[in-house]
Amino acid sequence: MLSRQQLFWHRDPYDLPGSDGLFLRAVRDNCAYHMAHCPAYRSLAQALSFSPDQLSTMDDLARVPLLPTLFYKRHALFSMPPRRMAMRVTSSGTSGKFSQIGFDWGCIFAEIPMVLRLGWIHRLISPVPAHCVVLGYRPNRHNRTGVTRTMFGLTFFSPPLSRTYALHYQDGEYVPDLDRVVRALDRLGRSRFPTRIVGFPSYLWFGLKRMEELGLSVRLPRGSRIHLVGGWKQHYAQQVDKPVLYDLVWRVLGIPEEHIHESFGAVEHPIFFNTCPRHHFHIPIYSRVLIRDVNTLEPLPMGEVGLVNLISPLIQATPTTSVMTDDLGYLTPGEACGCGIRSPYLTILGRVGLSDIQTCAAGAAERLGKGDAF
Amino acid sequence: MILAQGTLLPDSQLSQVLSGLEGEIDRTRASQALSAEVVIQTCARLLDRLDRGELDGLLAQYATPQILEALARYRALLRPESLRYKLSAELGDLADGPLSRPFGRALAVPLGTLLHITAGNLDGLPAFSALEGLLTGNVNLLKLPSGDPGLSLTLLHLLTQAEPRIAPFLYAFSIPSRDTPSLQALAELADGIVTWGGEEAIRAVRAMAPPGCKLIEWGHRLSFVYLSGTAQPWELAALARHITETGGLLCSSCQVVFLDTEDSDEALALCHSLLPALEQAALARHTTPGQAAQATLYGYEHFLEQSLRHTGAQVLRGRGCSVTLCPDRELELSPLYGNVLVKCLPRAELFSALRRQRGRLQTAGLICPPEQRAELVALLARAGVTRITAAGDLSHPFLGENHDGEFPLRRYVRMVDVEESPE
Repeated sequence: MLSRQQLFWHRDPYDLPGSDGLFLRAVRDNCAYHMAHCPAYRSLAQALSFSPDQLSTMDDLARVPLLPTLFYKRHALFSMPPRRMAMRVTSSGTSGKFSQIGFDWGCIFAEIPMVLRLGWIHRLISPVPAHCVVLGYRPNRHNRTGVTRTMFGLTFFSPPLSRTYALHYQDGEYVPDLDRVVRALDRLGRSRFPTRIVGFPSYLWFGLKRMEELGLSVRLPRGSRIHLVGGWKQHYAQQVDKPVLYDLVWRVLGIPEEHIHESFGAVEHPIFFNTCPRHHFHIPIYSRVLIRDVNTLEPLPMGEVGLVNLISPLIQATPTTSVMTDDLGYLTPGEACGCGIRSPYLTILGRVGLSDIQTCAAGAAERLGKGDAF
Repeated sequence: MILAQGTLLPDSQLSQVLSGLEGEIDRTRASQALSAEVVIQTCARLLDRLDRGELDGLLAQYATPQILEALARYRALLRPESLRYKLSAELGDLADGPLSRPFGRALAVPLGTLLHITAGNLDGLPAFSALEGLLTGNVNLLKLPSGDPGLSLTLLHLLTQAEPRIAPFLYAFSIPSRDTPSLQALAELADGIVTWGGEEAIRAVRAMAPPGCKLIEWGHRLSFVYLSGTAQPWELAALARHITETGGLLCSSCQVVFLDTEDSDEALALCHSLLPALEQAALARHTTPGQAAQATLYGYEHFLEQSLRHTGAQVLRGRGCSVTLCPDRELELSPLYGNVLVKCLPRAELFSALRRQRGRLQTAGLICPPEQRAELVALLARAGVTRITAAGDLSHPFLGENHDGEFPLRRYVRMVDVEESPE
């Protein structure tokens, strides 16, 4: 599986045209591997009349068997035995069900250059030690979610001096403690070292609102940064516009907009997407994004709104080559951004469907992952 | 929040309210009666306020598109003449007072205290359940669903404000389902427990109910369409509208279209004529790309499931919808959101196929030649369905309709025979 490593060790992480050949070859190898080792994936590929040798141009990527995230929630698919995997990670399961994705050692080996290169380009890596405030879960052996691991990993972009968490594991569940975070920020404002805040945007918003209510504001030391990860999840209704959030961050913490950084990924597609200085998610070479028609699932031209389909040959332990998210979004040509990165950028508009599904059809609540408690 | 005697109280006063509840209810029941007419007039006053726009603020606060849709659908059923009709249709002669008997009189009296355990599956359901309890003069204790955004409590509070005589007959609690001791305490006070919800909820309530307490269960159901002969284009269009409008989510939503044939070519032809009707209905129904995407994703996911399990089903994928021709004959949940199943079920096998789903059957939409209608209606009724409607009307509420084969108000009253010596 050298083709995957060649792609992930490629020099320029935003050189899409220069990496097309490598990408296509890696996807072809990845599909062939999953078809040989995962009987369920092979069945689906056959039902879709797909074979890896159909992949000769980038347009052919649309033919790779497309699996919705919902499918991973119903089926744990693996292409290797657990002993050969490095780890198994789950999605956060906001809707009550979660997917299980295996990570192989080759995948982790390929992620290292990706994270280092992108971390360097986006100026996330710094030799200056920093205090970390994690607006997310404190790692715990009962917690296998990808986002917990990602946030913990991000605290290592500079040597971590301390870590304060907003969510603590107590008696079998996570309990938020925003007041502890507020006290920590107040203290860190007087430190010689910068602070790095890593976390969910919703928690940043609620924490800052709380500080504003209490009349608190701090000036965090120069070089302090905020790194937002993951979506608004169950707080979707309270989602605020980015400029409003940036303005609040400046008022309450004294961190300028250019030091607010955002990244996203999904357990099914753990590619390190990062915002450029103009807050756009340009597509890195490790991934290709197709926008699909909401009615027919056919690929749409640049600029049109549809379902976001993420493609990457990164993982061998689970067939996640082409994943259909339940997000709506669109692509914009990279040149329109003006930050200098030429690869197109992805704008996510939000999740499909109503969050509050109500049903009295027998068995429907279970199918929708809502459970049937009264 | 807690609603007790017309007052809203914080949850922190739960134990206080529970400790005095038995005495309070006993005093109410021993000394007062609530007449149906009082409840009917109160509903009428609230509907008037709604019409005058006085409740718009409230609607703006709570109304999701589903609530507005439900309100439009059920509004007519809350008018005084509809409620009076409901009383007379369900209680018959009992609604008009004592019946004379050879030994004296027979009285219908309230069952007593009803505990309503309402699931969060339909907006406004807790208030509707309480209304049925009030119409029959019962004291009603409501356990509100955990996800209730406050709409039910506000509606119930409005009722008690509009008519103080209702206040002693209405209590509502936002007790979480895991607070078993409090739920148990409420169950101990009840003469009947009304449960709305799926099998899990019903099992949990059965385990909690004290012996001698009447269990009234409104479980989740499945509905279908039975097609014999040829469907007219307008019938298919009406069916398609029904499927996309309800998204398969209601007890009365069509999950499977059963065909009175063995011939799979004929069945496939029906699928091919249903698909364009469904596409047209989906196009009209899906006003946002998100709705269309959801329907498409559920249909595509269903297609993958069928391929993976090698079921032999043929999935015809349309724009924002799908029709699947399945080789089996079982009534089951469809893939939802404009994705429907089609199965062959010759009428000779209808009875046994439906009997396998006993206790879960609800509505059958019937499409057939007029001369066969009587025979098929009788067969469907014998097999266990509780509503038989036209193709597109599966989810229409009917005035005086039964609820899953029963008259709820009948279940909320109790008979008392009184011997009277002849004069």
